[in-house]
Amino acid sequence: MIWGKEESLPRAELDELQLAKLKETVKRVYEKVPAYRTKMDERNIKPEKIQSLKDIKELPFTNKKDLRDNYPFGLFAVPKSELVRIHASSGTTGKPTVAGYTRNDLKAWTELVTRIAVLGGASREDTAQICFGYGMFTGALGLHYGLENLGAGVCPTSSGNTQKQIMYMKDFGTTLLVATPSYALHIAEVAKSMGINPSADLKVKTGLFGGEGMTEPMREEMYKLWGSDMKVTQNYGMSELMGPGVSGECLELCGMHINEDHFIPEIINPETGQVLPPGSKGELVITCITKEALPLIRYRTGDITCLMYEPCKCGRTTVRMENLSGRCDDMLIIRGVNVFPTQIEEVLLKTPEIGPHYEIIIDRKNHLDTMEIKVELVDDTLLDSYAKLEELNKRIRGSLKVVLGLDADIKLVAPRSLKRFEGKARRVTDSRNL
Amino acid sequence: MLKQLSVFIENEIGSLAKITSVLRKNGINLRAISAFDSPEFGIMRMIVDKPQITKEILTGKGFVVRITEVLAIELEDKPGDLDRVLHIISAAGLGINYIYSFVIRSGKAPLMVINLDNMEKGGQILKANGIKVMDEED
Repeated sequence: MIWGKEESLPRAELDELQLAKLKETVKRVYEKVPAYRTKMDERNIKPEKIQSLKDIKELPFTNKKDLRDNYPFGLFAVPKSELVRIHASSGTTGKPTVAGYTRNDLKAWTELVTRIAVLGGASREDTAQICFGYGMFTGALGLHYGLENLGAGVCPTSSGNTQKQIMYMKDFGTTLLVATPSYALHIAEVAKSMGINPSADLKVKTGLFGGEGMTEPMREEMYKLWGSDMKVTQNYGMSELMGPGVSGECLELCGMHINEDHFIPEIINPETGQVLPPGSKGELVITCITKEALPLIRYRTGDITCLMYEPCKCGRTTVRMENLSGRCDDMLIIRGVNVFPTQIEEVLLKTPEIGPHYEIIIDRKNHLDTMEIKVELVDDTLLDSYAKLEELNKRIRGSLKVVLGLDADIKLVAPRSLKRFEGKARRVTDSRNL
Repeated sequence: MLKQLSVFIENEIGSLAKITSVLRKNGINLRAISAFDSPEFGIMRMIVDKPQITKEILTGKGFVVRITEVLAIELEDKPGDLDRVLHIISAAGLGINYIYSFVIRSGKAPLMVINLDNMEKGGQILKANGIKVMDEED
């Protein structure tokens, strides 16, 4: 099933629709948002300059700093009285970024999340458990309204209290799970320790994962724990843009379909700001073309991906973005080498003797960066000899060296000894004072 | 042959005590124990009175536990007796992976725990040389 008719429009019609909405949005922000008017005037760009979709590259970028500088409502294009909902991102440094919604924005958001849920295999027959933390975070309420709109039964269990989550899952016959991938793995692990086999004793058959990226080995891990017949998809969004509902994987698992009738994506070179041709990898930039409250123009997401315009087997014509290969700001520079934690995760999750949880600790000793990676040993056959444990250690180091070109210390620790996460996982500790 | 438990331990203060306290709470009797100094992690090997149950309890508590077979041989309490046994083993071309001894057995002869690269053959050769190899009942 395809929820929105706009998801399968011919490209020419989609272009036409995007251009009309883009023109209208640019005109509106120029008139209503002083910060955008200033930026455009500085570049000598009037709204009339936008005559084709290609002209979008003339417009100024928006970045996180602009949101902070205009905290809380400075970039809003409607008076505060028009807002019916306010969310904020979980900003770890400085002020959070604020997102506001008019009644129409909420309606559109709900529809877009319903599309994403359907993309991932949800239906009105589902009983959905939402294990995202409810609150200022957009994830929980976004999926909540989207799934209700679809007609599924929604249990707003929020995150935490994992044993109770599992009890509800069992007693309610939950069929659909909404969580961060790391929390989904944790739930399965706790279920096992309670003597419940998630794939046999629970009815969860669809996982809509988001809030953080999911690598392919992590998806494999989901199949292992929740059953090979589980529909495991991830979706993408950020509160500045709307929350979840920007894009999501369909069951063909070949990238995340972007809701292009609401968002125009571009890929740029993060260093130069130059727009890159389709298929190139770079930073994702998104322009909101339907939002009333917070229509961000060319917002720099910081996420690294590429766009695929080839038609998808699922029947949708919308462009797909490749599953994220990292965020610009997640990137670590270790001894001058660029390292994305996802690269490390790929290696670790392909090693069957260790569990899916890990911690990366970066430090600097004698002016040299050091990287220690803690992993949990799960395979008891290695206890026959120290040599087997050493061999595992060496093998992980070797694979990391091939992928990263860097040496890392591997520290084997006991199972269930590393930190577990109920929301977004924070697995990297950088103790260097840079 | 006896069943031995190998438990993965981190090199941290109190990590052995964590295991022994689980044994104490469950009334499990520890008969032999061995762990070496190693920089990061270690393998604690032990002989207990109820190996299978102990493995289940420890695994439930989050430990990685393996059961393997070892030979427990009885020695005479006199100089040169271990030397005699080790020569029998090396003469048979067998390698020893590790060796450790039982905790004190009141009034009985000392017992050594040995893991060899070929356990079957080792057991037969030692028995053929008149050395007492213990089993679970002993």
